[in-house]
Amino acid sequence: MPQTGNILVIGAGIAGMKASLMLAGASNKVYLVEKLPIIGGKVIKNEESFPNLECSTCMVAPIQQDVLQNPNIETLTYSVVEKIEGSAGDFSVVIRKKARYVSLTDCIGCGMCYEPCPVSLKNEWEENLIDRKAIYVPCSGSLPNVPVIDSEHCLKLLGKEECNLCVESCAFEAINLDDSDEVMEIKVGAVILATGSATIDLSTLPNLGYGTLPGVYAPMEFERLFASNGPTLGEIVLRGSEKIPESIAVIHCAGRKEKKYCSAVCCMYSFKFARFLKHKIPSAHVFNIYSDICVPGKSYQSFYKSVDGADTEMLYTSSIEDVKVSENESGLKVAYPDAAGAMEELNVDMVILAAALVPGDDAAPLAEVAGVDLDSRGFIATVLDGSGSMETSRRGVFVAGTAEGPKDIQNSVIQAESAAGQVMGIVTSGVSGS
Amino acid sequence: MKDFEMRESGQDKKLRAKVGVYVCECGPNIAGKVDLDKILADLSELDDYQDVELVVKKYGFLCSGPGKEFLEEEIKSNGFTHLVVGACSPRDHDSTFMSICEKTDLNPYLYRIINIREHCTWVIDDKEKATEKAFSYIRGGIARVLRQSELFEKPLDINPDVLVIGGGISGMEAALSLSGEDRRVFLVEKTDRLGGVSIDLSGLLPGQGEVVKKKMESVTEDKNIRLFLNTRVETVIGFLGNFEIELVSKENAETTEIMAGAIVVATGSELFEPANSDNYSYSESDEVYTSISIEKMFSGEGEAKLRSGMKPSSVALIHCVGREEKNYCSGICCSYMMKLAGFFKNQSPDIQVTEFYRDLCLPQKDDQERYNEAEADGVTFIRIKDISTKGTDVSFEKMNGEKGEQSFDMVVLAPAMEPSADTEELADLLTVPLDESGFFQEVHKMTNPVGTSTDGVFIVGTAHGPKGVSDSMQFARASAGQILTRLIPGEKLIPEVKVTEILEAYCTGCGNCLDVCVYGAIYSDDSRGISVVNEAVCRGCGNCFGSCPSGALRTKHFTNTQLYREVDEALR
Repeated sequence: MPQTGNILVIGAGIAGMKASLMLAGASNKVYLVEKLPIIGGKVIKNEESFPNLECSTCMVAPIQQDVLQNPNIETLTYSVVEKIEGSAGDFSVVIRKKARYVSLTDCIGCGMCYEPCPVSLKNEWEENLIDRKAIYVPCSGSLPNVPVIDSEHCLKLLGKEECNLCVESCAFEAINLDDSDEVMEIKVGAVILATGSATIDLSTLPNLGYGTLPGVYAPMEFERLFASNGPTLGEIVLRGSEKIPESIAVIHCAGRKEKKYCSAVCCMYSFKFARFLKHKIPSAHVFNIYSDICVPGKSYQSFYKSVDGADTEMLYTSSIEDVKVSENESGLKVAYPDAAGAMEELNVDMVILAAALVPGDDAAPLAEVAGVDLDSRGFIATVLDGSGSMETSRRGVFVAGTAEGPKDIQNSVIQAESAAGQVMGIVTSGVSGS
Repeated sequence: MKDFEMRESGQDKKLRAKVGVYVCECGPNIAGKVDLDKILADLSELDDYQDVELVVKKYGFLCSGPGKEFLEEEIKSNGFTHLVVGACSPRDHDSTFMSICEKTDLNPYLYRIINIREHCTWVIDDKEKATEKAFSYIRGGIARVLRQSELFEKPLDINPDVLVIGGGISGMEAALSLSGEDRRVFLVEKTDRLGGVSIDLSGLLPGQGEVVKKKMESVTEDKNIRLFLNTRVETVIGFLGNFEIELVSKENAETTEIMAGAIVVATGSELFEPANSDNYSYSESDEVYTSISIEKMFSGEGEAKLRSGMKPSSVALIHCVGREEKNYCSGICCSYMMKLAGFFKNQSPDIQVTEFYRDLCLPQKDDQERYNEAEADGVTFIRIKDISTKGTDVSFEKMNGEKGEQSFDMVVLAPAMEPSADTEELADLLTVPLDESGFFQEVHKMTNPVGTSTDGVFIVGTAHGPKGVSDSMQFARASAGQILTRLIPGEKLIPEVKVTEILEAYCTGCGNCLDVCVYGAIYSDDSRGISVVNEAVCRGCGNCFGSCPSGALRTKHFTNTQLYREVDEALR
């Protein structure tokens, strides 16, 4: 099959994967670069995704497999893009493939190497709710199912000890502690940035108690707590105690005022959390404290209606930014102004904060490398030509998914396919070429 | 049934079947957890298959480079008629071993992978039990593979051209994204002009109003876009790559027959009729307008005036008209109402603008800014629990129960977006289902929002559901992306191989299967009184299989005989 163009896609979440598959399907050679050792992005952290509460892994795993098995896609995990020079149709890209220390071709993912490793660390992918070793895969079901060695904590790599336990445990001679970073240079015609987003640092909102009160959770922490492949195998128990929460408050719009935008997905996942909680703990009392319901589109309101009253009590507050969470004898106290502005109080065991989506830490450095503008909020800006074009301020460089701003899975996929469609327009019109 | 088995097994071609059974050690993953030599010995001694010769071997890593070469050489030198590989999950290496078969004379559908790692050695600690289970699995696999049939890909010629239905902003964007030297686009519009609803919208961003006009010019100038105004689609027959379409001119009833490989539905939406809600009562002479008519005033004359020709000195903007009735939120009304508030403020700085809203739905990243600007401009926002109007008199109840009444010079209603009147008819024509809201239903809400269950038919813009101009155009370009990937000029399309077939002799023509087929792959052949499967459309999902009362349906590579024999042997 003739290669009509080379394309670089940065970020292997749902947007990056969908864009890559579409481009590869039209015989373009795609370099898919992912900073983590695994592909799949944020969606695979959810047990189920709204609105139809579909099993996320079941939805995404076939896409991950398609990406890994596609002969036109070269997936570069644990890699970062360091330079993008040139112009549309003729970019020169420098990629650093970080030393993984485990061979992607020889390792079969048996997992025998984790046990002997003497190092124990917090697993960031699991929101620090469980430990991992210095040689690890971030989660069960990781794809590719090949571990990585954390060179900042491996005793041998740090030169602290002559530990060789993982190497000895590997029956496949797949571990090479002498591995080193590899720098590769490629030529591409176009670039798609699909690096996703993060959630606001909730400790910057002291009223809500995150980071000081153990019963207060970030949304991704709760997703992992609920997940059957997560740290507690899906058992919802409170941090620090083994207690099952009996009353839970989900507080909407955490950080909306500070960030000056609505994150569009929080209402829906808050309702999903209510459904989850009620399903796992039928006796639980779940409250959603909100000021506005944002359920845009043809299918979201009916999910909200199905949850309202059945799974959660909806508590309206006239001022969501004045909600306060504090500690009391029995657990947590949530104070909020009611419709008339009078302060109401609620005692609960657990609080989940619906946190604003914000640009990831790597958005600004990436924008620098890619030579593209950020918008006033720090997301990657598009040209704003009135047509919803996914092209950035630099011709030939496109953006898709939550790297461009908060959005749900559907809109991330649409943007990815839309950006890929635009790229193919360039490639087939001959701006690029192999 | 005996005849079936013979025909399925392919044994009528070769007198004696020779089955290669290769067990992967997967290092200690399999070899360390089962007694592999016992499994091999027991398999070799299987005497159930008197006409079958078994060759049983193990190998360190069958998926490794040398392992793959070894297996290829074994298939060639032994002349196997069938192959069973006892190894890992098919998700890992099914395609690996199928590719090896493809390099030999062995049809890849006469091979089967048996997962003795994830299903046995990784989940059973007791070595004896793991050994027993792995053996049973492989024995079942041998029984099944003997009943598998050769299957072949049947590449289809495709037509890369595309029919786009609807000449609004989404349809135009899809057409422009697709048209090219080697791909024509037929753009069909039922009215006498391009532009759809978007032509009336007052632009928010600089240059946005120009986008529609520019697109209209580009479409008219594009020699690869054939435009049919005043035209409707009369019939559609076919499938991805090959649709036959009949168009009828509304002017002279003249018909045009065209062929296309894909269809993009961009038929837009309409607005909810406020009079259909009990809450809003007004007559034609009242100063009550829908948002689109105000948009039209601002985009046309640049001013929104009362019927008297005076500019209003107070205006009520009422959100969520029809939201309760439709049971969905249209997602864009809050934002455009704030835009209109800004226009009113611009027109008369002293105007009193009041927005009555239920929830602020501001899902786009710029939306909140618009709200902040409106607040700073002195627009009053009142969050209501309930509202009703009589002409321009507004009665409302706030969230805290407080009730109020106010009269305005002008009332502007933001009605919900609802499916176009002809949606149902078109859905029938295209065999695309509608969703609970009455819009065209996407094949998957999250991972494929522009695709439909009829492969080759795509939905974009507000025909898919309420959305704004930018999002509509993104949907259009997403559909273009899918078509550019799937229909490549000069290349063939390879349909699913594992499709369903109907055994004519058993089919009673009851039509049960037609009802359950979500892909529209089965049709009724009335002259013969049977159902027929279009293999180019069938995806082998098996829905029909269970619906057939006479056992006439069979999904290739997944037949009853294959399944029963595998289970029988595995459990024996």
